[in-house]
Amino acid sequence: MTSAIVMHGLTKDYGSGHGLFDLDLEVSEGEVFGFLGPNGAGKTTTIRLLMGVIHATAGTATVFGLDCDRESVAVKREVGYLPGELPQFGGMRGSEVVAYLGGMRGAIDRSRVQELSERLELDLGRRFREYSRGNKQKLGLLLAFMHRPRLLILDEPTGGLDPLNQQTFHRLVDEVKTDGTTVFLSSHVLSEVEETCSRVGIIREGRLVSDMTMDNVHELRFHEVVIEFGGDVPQAAVRAAAGVEDVAVEGRRLTCTVHGGFDALLAAISGHTVLDMVSREPSLESIFLSYYSN
Amino acid sequence: MSPRLLLRLHRIGLIAMAYFGIFYVLVNSAAFPVIAGKTRASQEAFGHSVTVLGATFSWLLRLPVRPDTAAGYLQWRGYGFFAILFAAWGLFSACGAVRRDEDRGLVESWLSSGISRLRLLATRSLFFAVMSAEIVTLTGAAGWLGCLIAGTPAAVGGLVGESAALWALTLACFGIGLVVSQVVSDFRAAASAGSAVLVLMFLLDSIGRSSVHRAPFTDISVFFLFNQSNSVAPGGTFNIAATMLLFVIVAVATIVASLGFVRRDIGSGLIRTRPRRVADAHDASANPLLRIPVVRGLWIRRIGLLSWTAGMAVVAASVVLLVNITATFFASTPSLSPYLRGLPGDVHTVLLALIWLSFAQALVAIFAITCVSRWSGDDSSGVLEMQLAEPLPRWGVLGERAAELTVTVTLMSFAAMAVILALAPAEGISIDVGRMLSSTALLVPFALTFAAVGSLLAGWRPRVAVVVLSTIAVISYLVFELGPLFKWPDWADNLSVFQLYGTPLITSVFVGGLIAMLAIVVVGFGSAGVVLARRDVAA
Repeated sequence: MTSAIVMHGLTKDYGSGHGLFDLDLEVSEGEVFGFLGPNGAGKTTTIRLLMGVIHATAGTATVFGLDCDRESVAVKREVGYLPGELPQFGGMRGSEVVAYLGGMRGAIDRSRVQELSERLELDLGRRFREYSRGNKQKLGLLLAFMHRPRLLILDEPTGGLDPLNQQTFHRLVDEVKTDGTTVFLSSHVLSEVEETCSRVGIIREGRLVSDMTMDNVHELRFHEVVIEFGGDVPQAAVRAAAGVEDVAVEGRRLTCTVHGGFDALLAAISGHTVLDMVSREPSLESIFLSYYSN
Repeated sequence: MSPRLLLRLHRIGLIAMAYFGIFYVLVNSAAFPVIAGKTRASQEAFGHSVTVLGATFSWLLRLPVRPDTAAGYLQWRGYGFFAILFAAWGLFSACGAVRRDEDRGLVESWLSSGISRLRLLATRSLFFAVMSAEIVTLTGAAGWLGCLIAGTPAAVGGLVGESAALWALTLACFGIGLVVSQVVSDFRAAASAGSAVLVLMFLLDSIGRSSVHRAPFTDISVFFLFNQSNSVAPGGTFNIAATMLLFVIVAVATIVASLGFVRRDIGSGLIRTRPRRVADAHDASANPLLRIPVVRGLWIRRIGLLSWTAGMAVVAASVVLLVNITATFFASTPSLSPYLRGLPGDVHTVLLALIWLSFAQALVAIFAITCVSRWSGDDSSGVLEMQLAEPLPRWGVLGERAAELTVTVTLMSFAAMAVILALAPAEGISIDVGRMLSSTALLVPFALTFAAVGSLLAGWRPRVAVVVLSTIAVISYLVFELGPLFKWPDWADNLSVFQLYGTPLITSVFVGGLIAMLAIVVVGFGSAGVVLARRDVAA
């Protein structure tokens, strides 16, 4: 599979430890890649480097083999872009914003505009200043999707969208993925990435700390287990069991976390009376937070 | 709300008023002996000429009092004109403080931080009151200094009284702006409605001044109340009652605006138009103009373009209509002969050339500065980022900006030229059409000269671009206007960008100046292109 995005040692140093440092990352064509990180981690900086809006201090970034800095115009022919925040278009109507920015690109696929605005329930007849935050976001999504780009670069795409429109967005991403479009989206909401992405990169303080498929992410999952014993608590056996961590005992109640399968834990407690046993799967948010707490 | 934030929000008005107020007053008072002569006889002759001229302008300015003195001249030329200028500043500041900051979501943020509506309005009003008091005081101090330089010190008490009246007028117009901003729902509507109110008040005062019958309700015109004081002029009076009445208007307007602000919804006005029930639109605009490079920008800013064109045409018409009376004034004031610079031809044509073209240069320079301001704003607001997200090269954005400005200045200039050519024969002014065409066409490279420098500044340091460019324009204009009067050396005159334009309506085109302007345009835009290509956008 050919690469849609390639970044080698990509660095944007704003000084005082702020920016993006030595980012090596490849996104294959047709892949939906989620770029995760808290505010200020460097997600938007990465995106703006890809869009050629800012210049790298070091390293290179290419999109479909085109240099994002030197060939940014050619890159943008292939890209649909949603910025983190749309600028103010004042009294212009939504339809005029579409015609104005679409006109810079060339011909506008009006049937596609109609389809997207209907699915997103966006009234293009209203003035931009009258739009709510969610409607502005919908307009931004329409502008990014309307010319059927080969690559979508979306900076926090569901910000301000209601749950129904979030679902519409997820369906749109699924559809373009089927058509072979590559999607690079940033987010700090893991559930959103979980819903749409096949691969995820986690960035922290300007450095990529993890790059894995969603299957790998799911493998990182663990279970929080609480067991209520009828008699003695087999504390030593549980502590020795493979994949069992964070063991704590309070009376006849034992809590622990279990990574991987339950076989070792079940073997350790066999022969003991178990009154109750509860296993909870933490959300991916918890996994995400554990990355940052470390 | 920190004073620093408030200063930032009001910075353009404050800088512009401080620049203009101080320079204008200082120059007009200090230059009095140069214009009127140094002997008592010449000053009396000058005063007589100004009185005759003042009668012609009575629809615009109050009649001059003792214009044979520096203080009297300052009263008429400075404070008479300031009534219009400071009133407009007060009105637009209030509309901006309410509607523009509300459009930007700032008001909602402040209110959500726990500040009450009344306190917010009071803070904004108090800040403007303090800052306008400072500007008015500095202007008065500049007038006192100017008169001192002229050798005829003005009475401090008179200046204080006139400054108080001017401050009260400014605050009254700010109050009016606050009130209309509560009624309508956006800045443009507020500014238009407020301007209509002020124009009406101005006309009431103007009619009362230039006819024997006073129009009804004249007494409540803020301009009428301001014009009751003329205490800078020797023998003038400070009308305490009229000034106090202005402060009463300030108080009433602020209370009414506060009640309206408390009552209305944020984001809308007290008057709410019922939204039309129309089906949702789901198509891109079919307007082909939005898809054509350069034309799309002109279309989006069509109201501004038409306003500038109409405004320039009105100024052109006014200049033509005033040439004859101005010629009489010049003929009776020998000290003004340096302005004619020994230029050949009929004095009417020379005056039209000098007055109109200096106005036209100033206007297109101001227009270029407003464009530079917008370009700087596009960078920080994210508009430039959205444009560059399309497959558009950075130099393309720059080229489109320059082309848009070129088309607009061409339209403005040639519309004004058409008005002049239409009106001049009726006023007995003969104009060489060929020279008129070339002098009008030269306004385009002149405007582009400012735009090129501004574009480079906007590409380099967007936040300081407007301030630096405005400073260059103001200094250039002052050097250009005052150089001949004070007989400054040629090298000083040549520092002015305005000098590059020459006097193409009377003499031939100043080829050296044209080449210099074109060189600045090419180098300026070229450098701006390099700077824009190399720098980070909105970083």
